[in-house]
Amino acid sequence: MISERLKRIILEALQLEDFDMQDDTTANMVPGWDSLSHIKVIVAIEESYGIRFKTLEVIRLKNVGQLQRLIDAKK
Amino acid sequence: MIDTLLDAKGTISDCWRSIAERAPDKEAVVHYVAGEEPCRWTWGEILRASSLYARRFKDEGIRKGDICAIIIRHHKDFYPIYIGISALGALPSVLAYPNSRLHPDKFRQGLEGMVRRSGLDYVLTEKDLGQVVNPMVSGTGSTIRAVLYPLEWSFEREETESFPPTTGGGGDAPCLLQHSSGTTGLQKAVVLTHRAVLKHVRQYGKAIDIRQDDKVVSWLPLYHDMGLIAAFYLPLTLGIPLVQLDPFEWVSAPVILLEAVSREKGTLVWLPNFAYNLMADRIREEDLDGIRLESLRMLVNCSEPVRAESHEKFLRRYAPFGFRKEALAACYAMAETTFAATQTPPGQDAKSIFVAREDLSTGYVRLARSEETGRVCVSSGAPISGCELRVLDDRGNSLPENRVGEIAIRSISLFDGYHNNPEKTEEVLKDGWYSSGDYGFLHAGQYYIIGRKKDLIILAGKNIYPEDIEDAVGQVEGVLPGRVVAFGVEDDITGTEQICVVAESQVHDEADRKRLRTDIVLAGMGIDVTISNVYLAPPRWLIKSSSGKPARKANMERAMTNLKEHRP
Repeated sequence: MISERLKRIILEALQLEDFDMQDDTTANMVPGWDSLSHIKVIVAIEESYGIRFKTLEVIRLKNVGQLQRLIDAKK
Repeated sequence: MIDTLLDAKGTISDCWRSIAERAPDKEAVVHYVAGEEPCRWTWGEILRASSLYARRFKDEGIRKGDICAIIIRHHKDFYPIYIGISALGALPSVLAYPNSRLHPDKFRQGLEGMVRRSGLDYVLTEKDLGQVVNPMVSGTGSTIRAVLYPLEWSFEREETESFPPTTGGGGDAPCLLQHSSGTTGLQKAVVLTHRAVLKHVRQYGKAIDIRQDDKVVSWLPLYHDMGLIAAFYLPLTLGIPLVQLDPFEWVSAPVILLEAVSREKGTLVWLPNFAYNLMADRIREEDLDGIRLESLRMLVNCSEPVRAESHEKFLRRYAPFGFRKEALAACYAMAETTFAATQTPPGQDAKSIFVAREDLSTGYVRLARSEETGRVCVSSGAPISGCELRVLDDRGNSLPENRVGEIAIRSISLFDGYHNNPEKTEEVLKDGWYSSGDYGFLHAGQYYIIGRKKDLIILAGKNIYPEDIEDAVGQVEGVLPGRVVAFGVEDDITGTEQICVVAESQVHDEADRKRLRTDIVLAGMGIDVTISNVYLAPPRWLIKSSSGKPARKANMERAMTNLKEHRP
């Protein structure tokens, strides 16, 4: 289950007020989340949680649920 | 070796075969995948593999002159498949693999448009797309004879000893077909002959002083002329190694381009302008550990307007990693001239000049003293050999140096016209001159491109027709039909354009308006376009042109000055 905190960070990075997200939500389902804004989202998450993702970890992420699990593993 | 190859008179397949016979163990393509050992194709291996594919393609019915669409993601067998089609004298046409956000109906519509315009004979794709593509074979008016899945084929090892047969035929035979972007039948197809491509590669190779020890590194998609001609045909027809990255991987992790240049000692890279900003702003210092960029002799900015600020920030960021200022090159190119029309000289960075704004707005170029009073314009260089440029006024008369007008081009590698589209051809091709639709000027022997006549939006190097966006947004419930305009606005931060939409609506409730804006952004995503700003306007707000359609330029100016509403 994705946390409210992660959802807020993503929405803020994409300048969205609200959008429903589940574990299997992929970036291309979220308004404005395209390949160019992806880095913005990633950096916002890193700053908020004080963690760092590796290049390959970012490339291989498939959905928001995987992103949440990666964050949890790094905290 | 380069000189002899450049004089090749026959087809490109002859040229590839000749390289493989002379240097079978030389590296042809390094297929790069982040985090894995790259797949290294030598010339001998790649031609033998292409021979297997060619034989199978022939068995499937593919013949000389057939148009074969290739819709395959980054895969090591893409190259022998491409070479195999070419070996049969058929015409490969690389199409974009649909991004997962592109709605399958929109992808199908786009493909149907291409079938109508180009008469595709075969579609070579991956199993995943079968459901979408297969019904088109039996569709009314479809020219598609079969959908093939070459990545599913396996071959016996003993079959791999020979190179593909030479098909014969001269340089005048068609060699490939390229499509412009656009989703709803606005695509234009350009057919190029072997001669045009070989001549172009020769002339362009001279313009960048190409050498046998060069190495091209590229993440560019091959359905675009910059990727296909500069970063694929140029190295491969000259026997220079190509290091090919996955465009999707690059955009998720731009550092992989620098990593590939550093590891492979790449010398030549072509990029659209936004990539300079992306790499300067969005790569973290710790990811650059061990990266060295001394080998890079030309980083060529092409296919979007060249911005001085983008060059400056890239240089600031990467000079400490060995990147040299003189490698900042620029080029003006388009599919209609095969690729390049102008190029800045090797060993010198692209020149920037300050032009007085008030004079520029009246079509005259006068140098200003500084950035405060002038607009900075970056040179795209001088015409490459075999290519002539003119600057034309509204009536088609040539203008002298330092006057702004539409750029027209005549070239030995000019296209013959858009495939099956005489009306569009007639609009742009007159007496052997191609009207580019771009505005620019000549100053001190170099051309500067400063704007566009047409409403085309260029977002991150990708050409987008506003009509496609307007069509998608016009179908959103709550938007008044036909009352939408879409346009691009320059964005200094990303170094490219941002897409804005103005849509008329009668929806008043604030919550409903928020939902409507989200729906409009989602409609854009359905055609794989990111809309950055949505302006909702009351009915009859949009200014109409004489044809009764909303006028884009006038509405863009009005929206930019009057409205402050942003997307949710």
